[in-house]
Amino acid sequence: MAVRFPSTEYFTALKERMAAEQARFRRLGFIDTTFGITVAGNGEPRNFILSFEVFELADVREVDAIDAASVDFVIAGDAAVWREMIDNIRRNGEADTHHDINTLTHFGEALKISYADPEGHDKLYRFMESIQEFFDLTSQVEVSF
Amino acid sequence: MAFYADKDYTEDQAVLDAMNAVMQGNLSLHWFDAHTEKIKGRPRDPRRGLVYQDLDIGSYGYTDIPESVRTSQSMAARGSEKWGKLPDMGYLVNRKSDVWSDNVAALYEESKARRWAPALDIPWTELDAHPLAPALEAACAQLYTFLQECAAVALDFPSRWVALINQEFIEQKSFMCAQMLDGARLLEAFRKRALYGGAGLGRANVAAEQGLKEWLWADEFPRGSLAINLALGGFLLALYRHIAAFAPTRTDRAIMGFAMQDAARHAAYGAGALRYHLAHQPEERAELNAWLDGEEHVILALLGSPELIEPLIIISGGGLEAAQVRAGCEAALKFIRLVAREYFERLEAAGLGGRVSRSRLSAIVSRVSI
Amino acid sequence: MGYLATKDYFEDRDFVDKWLYTIRTGELDLSWMKAATEKVKPHAENPRRGLIYRDIDLGAYGYSNLPEKVRRNRSFAPRGAELPEGLPDAQPWVSRKSELWAHNTDGYYEEAVTRQWNATTDIPWERLEGVELPEATGKALSQLMTFLTEVEMIATDTPAMWLPRLNPEFIEVRAFIAAQAMDEARHAEVFRKRALTTGHGLMKASPMNEMALKHLRDADSFSEMSVALHLVAEGNVLTLFRFSEFLSPTDVDKRIFRLVMQDEARHVGYGMQHFKWVLEHFPQKREVLHSHLDEAENISFASGAATELTESFIVLAGGGLKQENIAQGVKITTAFQLKQMHEHFERLDKCGMPERKSGDRSRLWNMFEMGKAAAAEAGIKF
Repeated sequence: MAVRFPSTEYFTALKERMAAEQARFRRLGFIDTTFGITVAGNGEPRNFILSFEVFELADVREVDAIDAASVDFVIAGDAAVWREMIDNIRRNGEADTHHDINTLTHFGEALKISYADPEGHDKLYRFMESIQEFFDLTSQVEVSF
Repeated sequence: MAFYADKDYTEDQAVLDAMNAVMQGNLSLHWFDAHTEKIKGRPRDPRRGLVYQDLDIGSYGYTDIPESVRTSQSMAARGSEKWGKLPDMGYLVNRKSDVWSDNVAALYEESKARRWAPALDIPWTELDAHPLAPALEAACAQLYTFLQECAAVALDFPSRWVALINQEFIEQKSFMCAQMLDGARLLEAFRKRALYGGAGLGRANVAAEQGLKEWLWADEFPRGSLAINLALGGFLLALYRHIAAFAPTRTDRAIMGFAMQDAARHAAYGAGALRYHLAHQPEERAELNAWLDGEEHVILALLGSPELIEPLIIISGGGLEAAQVRAGCEAALKFIRLVAREYFERLEAAGLGGRVSRSRLSAIVSRVSI
Repeated sequence: MGYLATKDYFEDRDFVDKWLYTIRTGELDLSWMKAATEKVKPHAENPRRGLIYRDIDLGAYGYSNLPEKVRRNRSFAPRGAELPEGLPDAQPWVSRKSELWAHNTDGYYEEAVTRQWNATTDIPWERLEGVELPEATGKALSQLMTFLTEVEMIATDTPAMWLPRLNPEFIEVRAFIAAQAMDEARHAEVFRKRALTTGHGLMKASPMNEMALKHLRDADSFSEMSVALHLVAEGNVLTLFRFSEFLSPTDVDKRIFRLVMQDEARHVGYGMQHFKWVLEHFPQKREVLHSHLDEAENISFASGAATELTESFIVLAGGGLKQENIAQGVKITTAFQLKQMHEHFERLDKCGMPERKSGDRSRLWNMFEMGKAAAAEAGIKF
């Protein structure tokens, strides 16, 4: 059954697959970060907070707005950009170089990173491999938009 | 300049008598009731294992390390009972605020958890399956030649200082050891990549090396850390991200994915150490500002050298055709601005704000245009 | 006070103008493309092993072709790169291959990188829950762990301080040393963590050992340091780890010692191979090595003389403080000490210095012979 993007169900589906692939995520090492995802589109943007701890996604929730000071960073972008990334992951099994989180956020043109503290920003890169593999789990999920 | 133990133990009768007594079964047990704190550390989070943070307890913990370490100059472990004639190890760095960062224990644990092995974790044979056009491969080889130079310096910095830092700061020294392995591993990955594509190594970078030696040879640890961890670490983090974003092969993308993780930890320590330093030695703010006024030219030496900027343009644009070069120049311009912006941001967050208006770097970056 | 680059790049008009011009116009110099460097095409000899340093031991890039005296390069430029005028001098102290080389250095490094373990997660700390060791055993274990944290500290700092003194052309040796520094930091970590989980905390520092070990840190040359650290001290510690594994009171301790001994064996391997290399390529250094060994063996003897270490080992080995426990502990400790000395001299023999097994050359050999005789009398085999 397809999960809708964006939704907590989508992130929960990834969380479950992450838990099922613990060996892979353990190998990558600790991931300790809380970050926000903002998906803009027609109407109000949708905001989610993902809290990663040790080797898993501990908590995911939707919020009305994200307080930058309460998260390490926020990745924000139009729904169309997120959709293109998801489609790319589902087509290829993983994001290709043009559609991975690092590329999409690099100059802030496709997806934009915002943060209150540069140390929080640096956590995106400290845990990049785990974050990318987390999103790559989308290849195992039916997604609707 | 050698140190010899204060006695030849094989000829010291008192030593021999004591040994013989023990080996006859006459134990002194002078150590049995050591005057140390009794604790039973346990992992707070079993998933995480037993981390240094779990043992931040009492006299064993790092939180209670005093600002000035005056009572320990030996190898004795923090919290153990010191007695007898212990050697003076000649530590030059004995102030906590000269080395400490609140995130250092966590960064050490993270560096171990997030280890990788270039031999096995990089898909080298992708380069055989998808070889690059000669110009692009040559650009990669030149870039990776430059990156080896940076890695060599990043490896040397913690090595230069670790033995000079008081052993009380064991978590911070351990992080420096992790940095050494990071440096060696990155140099290994860059060297293997430079050679695997068949273009051979490129040309060494005079401007970069001159500048990096200036940073490496900073005469105080806080300055050196600011330069190498914060400034160079931040620069390399941005560069690895950039190369990953424009990676011509999966091999390059994989290398840069791991590299950016390592570099981000170094930058995080550098920023955290600067923050801690200025919080406890606020009078250093003016000194560091003055020092940076003279040192920021090294960032230009890195950004401005043709051995970096030209390969970067070619890789970013995808080749040497006019349109590709133009696209590459646009990307390079954005990269330069990103490096400067993030550098000043890190300084500001660490307590060294206001440099944008003062720095020669911002003036020169503002002149870069297409 | 510090080094100043040959230019302030902000003030180098030509440098700045060229940079701005390049980006503005896209007119690339590309002279670096004509670098006069060798073109090689490596491949992974064994795909299961991945791409290792041995696979890029080719031509001017390889370590096999490193000359005895490195005259070509003193900068940070990677071996085999084109070296333009103006590169800085990294001021290495060691530019002579036989001063630091060892057969299989690259192999030791690659092994170190793939065999990194994590003291936080690879030790089953949770199995200590509810474990209550008898007081004597627990304190003896804590004392041993306390000593080991001191030893590992010096083993971290000592190779690390030599690393930046080594000519950057010796990439593989520098890499090995960096990996060793991390290994030793991990050892200091695991021993500290174990001591702090016993309920007794850390115990007493070991002044005699520390005083002796300082020699490692302040060695006059890389070779002297390597003889003292890799070959002698780590050789002794390797035997200690093996005995400690045997004596471990819990399976957690067994795992600790099995993991640390893997790393230690690698370091000793490097030490032996370096010693052999020096003897083979630098025969005139034989007497110098003997004099290095004289002091290194003094350090070795000190560890046996430091009662806080020996006594804790006896208590651990004997399983308690009763007379019969101590008697048993003395037997095992005697066997261990003799084994340490035996293995030390065997290593030297295998490396090409059999003459060290003589009272004329080595005071430690005399102690070993006396110890063997006394053990034989007491019916102790080792």
